[in-house]
Amino acid sequence: MRIKDHPIIDFQRGKQVTFSFNGRQVTAYEGETIAAALHAAGVRVLSHSHKLKRPRGFFCAIGNCSSCLMQVNGEFNVRICITPAREGDRVEMQQGRGEIVEKT
Amino acid sequence: MTAKADAVIIGGGVHGCSIAYHLAKKGWKNVILLEKGTLACGATGRSVAGIRHQFGTEINIRLAKESVKRMERLEEELDYPESIELMQNGYLMLSYSAEELELFRCNRDLQKSLDPDNQTEILTPEQAADLVPGLNLEGLYGASFNRQDGHASPFHVTQAYADAAKRLGVDIRTGVEVTDIKKDRSHVTGVVTGKGEEISAPVVIAAAGAYTKPLGEMLGLEIPVIPERHQVAVTEPLEMFLGIMVISFAHGAYFKQTPHGSLLLGVGDPEREVKDFNERSSWQFLYDVFEKTTFHLPVLREANVIRQWAGLYDMTPDSQGILGKTEVEGFYINTGWSGHGFQLAPAVGQVMAEIVSGEKPFIDVSCMHLERFERGELIPEPACV
Repeated sequence: MRIKDHPIIDFQRGKQVTFSFNGRQVTAYEGETIAAALHAAGVRVLSHSHKLKRPRGFFCAIGNCSSCLMQVNGEFNVRICITPAREGDRVEMQQGRGEIVEKT
Repeated sequence: MTAKADAVIIGGGVHGCSIAYHLAKKGWKNVILLEKGTLACGATGRSVAGIRHQFGTEINIRLAKESVKRMERLEEELDYPESIELMQNGYLMLSYSAEELELFRCNRDLQKSLDPDNQTEILTPEQAADLVPGLNLEGLYGASFNRQDGHASPFHVTQAYADAAKRLGVDIRTGVEVTDIKKDRSHVTGVVTGKGEEISAPVVIAAAGAYTKPLGEMLGLEIPVIPERHQVAVTEPLEMFLGIMVISFAHGAYFKQTPHGSLLLGVGDPEREVKDFNERSSWQFLYDVFEKTTFHLPVLREANVIRQWAGLYDMTPDSQGILGKTEVEGFYINTGWSGHGFQLAPAVGQVMAEIVSGEKPFIDVSCMHLERFERGELIPEPACV
């Protein structure tokens, strides 16, 4: 779902970009976050709790709650709710806590 | 209103709670523990809570050996239903000069002379790097390592002692500050709380970290303990990759990964810290901790820090605890652990309970007496930050 008409905000959509989510192609508008694009594409489960592996959805949307941590282009623990989607991004749901990986 | 107690303990950190448990276990009936905040809210809970055999003075080596042994079976001893999160995979002390490595060798020799089972070994930089993947070898001379050392949760250890003490009848009161300590000529007679309550007691034990100094002043005692702020940064939880605790005395830095996955990165700055009771964290610390810990372990650059805290070491002139009687009869102190107190609480709690009960303590701690400062009989602990 995307809001198209808003009483006070005028949405200026950027051009379309495409990224992959778990191997599937997802379309976003430039400037949108990865999480917003996934939400629009109907993705409701973003991660799982560490201990009981229960599903975690889109929650704080401001980069605080850790509900939406995913692996983006190999990097773990990326907060996709505050990370803009870029053309060609490789986004994957993360299993576990994530590893610390030296950037090359 | 006046209440009566056989003993009042001031301070609900790991030491106060351990003393409470050990007193009750000895059969003391009417013991009250007063904590101005919540249990483990001071230096205990803000500690990174390393546990080690690797000390450089006889007294600490003896206390540590006994304490580690108890930590290994603490849940059982105290019938604690949860885990104290003991991770006993080892503790690595990095050395950045030939002199420091020589000191570590001397410490190891002393440890082994007092305890034939001691596992401390001196490692080459390469051997140290095998234990910590990604360790920066720049400037590293070697390291001291003991595989029986490690770390635990200071909250759980404190709670375990507190719960066990409560079951044995200790009255633990949180949110109650001691505002005055009363004496009659040379004998302590009780305390006054911030709620205006007076509790009369022939025995008062202060185990309040750096705050023991103002408590001593209430009785005209000078206790040479000064607060020194140390700070900790916490990273997001990560898959377990660092099984051991790491410390560098040269940089005043130490870090560990908790079972939850977060790394705790600790740094103190004794040179520049103002010696007051400031327990707030600072933004400057974030630069400092980043610079120091990413020097040791460059991959930490990629970890996100999610929060930070600060706490107070209770520093003494010889970085050594102060234990036992004072010139005010009935007033005992347990303070001054200078940053390595958490791990010694199991043994020290029993020692204190024995001293207060008029018994000979099972470990001779007479060298830790308050009067050593006047007499000039300091016992400097070389292995601490």
